[in-house]
Amino acid sequence: MSNWIGFATIVRREFKRTMMTINQVVWPPVITTLLFLFIFGVGLGSTLRQMDGVPYVQFLLPGLVMLNVIASSYDEAASSLFQQRFQLSIQELLIAPLSDLELLLGYLTGSILRGIVIGALIMLLGLLVVHLEPRHGLVLFYFMFVTALLFSSVGMIGALLAKTFDNLAIVTTFFITPLTYVGGVFSSIQILPPIVHQASLFNPMLYMVDGLRFGYIGRSDVSPLIDATIVTLLAVAAFIIAFWMVHRGVNLRV
Amino acid sequence: MGSADHGERRSEIADGVLLLSEARTVEHGRENSTATKDGAIDGAVSVRRLVKRYGDLVAVDDLSFDVAPGEFFGFLGPNGAGKTTTINAIVGLATFQSGSISVFGADAVKEFRSARSYIGLSPQEFNFDRYLTVEEILVYQAGYYGIPPSRATPRALELLEQFELTDKRRATYLQLSGGFKRRLALARALVHEPKLLILDEPTAGLDVELRIELWEFLRRINAGGMTVFLTSHYLEEVELLCSRIGIINHGKLVALENKDTLIAKHGQGSLQDVFLELVGRHVSR
Repeated sequence: MSNWIGFATIVRREFKRTMMTINQVVWPPVITTLLFLFIFGVGLGSTLRQMDGVPYVQFLLPGLVMLNVIASSYDEAASSLFQQRFQLSIQELLIAPLSDLELLLGYLTGSILRGIVIGALIMLLGLLVVHLEPRHGLVLFYFMFVTALLFSSVGMIGALLAKTFDNLAIVTTFFITPLTYVGGVFSSIQILPPIVHQASLFNPMLYMVDGLRFGYIGRSDVSPLIDATIVTLLAVAAFIIAFWMVHRGVNLRV
Repeated sequence: MGSADHGERRSEIADGVLLLSEARTVEHGRENSTATKDGAIDGAVSVRRLVKRYGDLVAVDDLSFDVAPGEFFGFLGPNGAGKTTTINAIVGLATFQSGSISVFGADAVKEFRSARSYIGLSPQEFNFDRYLTVEEILVYQAGYYGIPPSRATPRALELLEQFELTDKRRATYLQLSGGFKRRLALARALVHEPKLLILDEPTAGLDVELRIELWEFLRRINAGGMTVFLTSHYLEEVELLCSRIGIINHGKLVALENKDTLIAKHGQGSLQDVFLELVGRHVSR
């Protein structure tokens, strides 16, 4: 990478875009999380039993962090790149002396930062509202980072393949949201019936939520090493596919 | 680039860009005279046996031509002839199946960083970033070319002043009139101080007064050493400004000559007549 300023300019542009849409992309996940914490902590807290040996609200929080890291990083990459394709402003970057890698990393960095910042804001809420501090900070950060990389790359792939804004919603509506919700965000897979438990092991979101939960509260359903291996492999694969598509100029260069 | 009573102002605009162009011409003089490995002299643009297909459609068919440094080159053709495809291939917006393109000696694919940094493009369709203000559009564009904000900001302010966009600097491009959008497109193309300015229908949608002002501006920057590559459907514009003309039809070059020679050769009065004679048989009229 030699055009560092070009790369930094893309990241700066992504940050500016996030700040200009702050009421759409930053505050909603924060407020939704606050409502979850209120409902499951204050509202239903006394009626819910512990999950995995910790109060339910503490079990829930890592899942909510991961839910929002996934949604934010995907959404930033997908909507930003697709909008630029749609409005042709992507041409400003394509005619500039930026390599395919610089272009890709610029978008990915912007999306990863958004995912991590929103995840950190939710963790800050956790600290203030439920007084929950991360057990293994580095592990937690690793899972946030690799998952954000994975879904930023998926967002890039989606943005390059999409023909309409509606196409972008397919990934979120039919894959990301349902898989995340049944991926151990709200309950441990240990309490599921055996067949559902086995089926859950094929859900990639489980390993992201589980790994982050280990970093956050020190408990997991699966080995953190297995979690890390699966999530890392998926992230590397998604990155390679996204790079290949940018390099081939799929729906970028005619 | 203002109204008629801004004649002096227009001269300042052009002079400002002229000085930059002159400085760059001196710097570029050595490069312009270097020879490539095959012995050919580097042109501002050298297109060799370019082929671009879209499925079964051959959009550009074995196209070769050169544009000399400092030249005002007109590139004409009917709709769908392959003009924009060729421009897109030169600037990096289109890939191509075979052939080569170099810009001031830099291969457009292998040495894309140098090649692209030499080019400033003012496209036909407005493609500004809607999240940025007018000033930011220039600063960010310079950033994509590797120019840090500390250098890009004064350069952007200078261009805004020259193109009389200073009081619009905090507006988004959607708030600008058509004429101001064209000025912004030109300012953006010049923000990284290119050696070659490619203009795709630069006066589309402009009123007569603005068009004449733009012509005057382009003449001045070309006189200052900037190579200009113009494609336009306004043939009188091309006839007025360009010293040499290439005409493309169905992806093939059908003429490439000095303007006066081209018109004289066909023994008719205007470039429009020549153009219609060369491509008219292929155009439904």
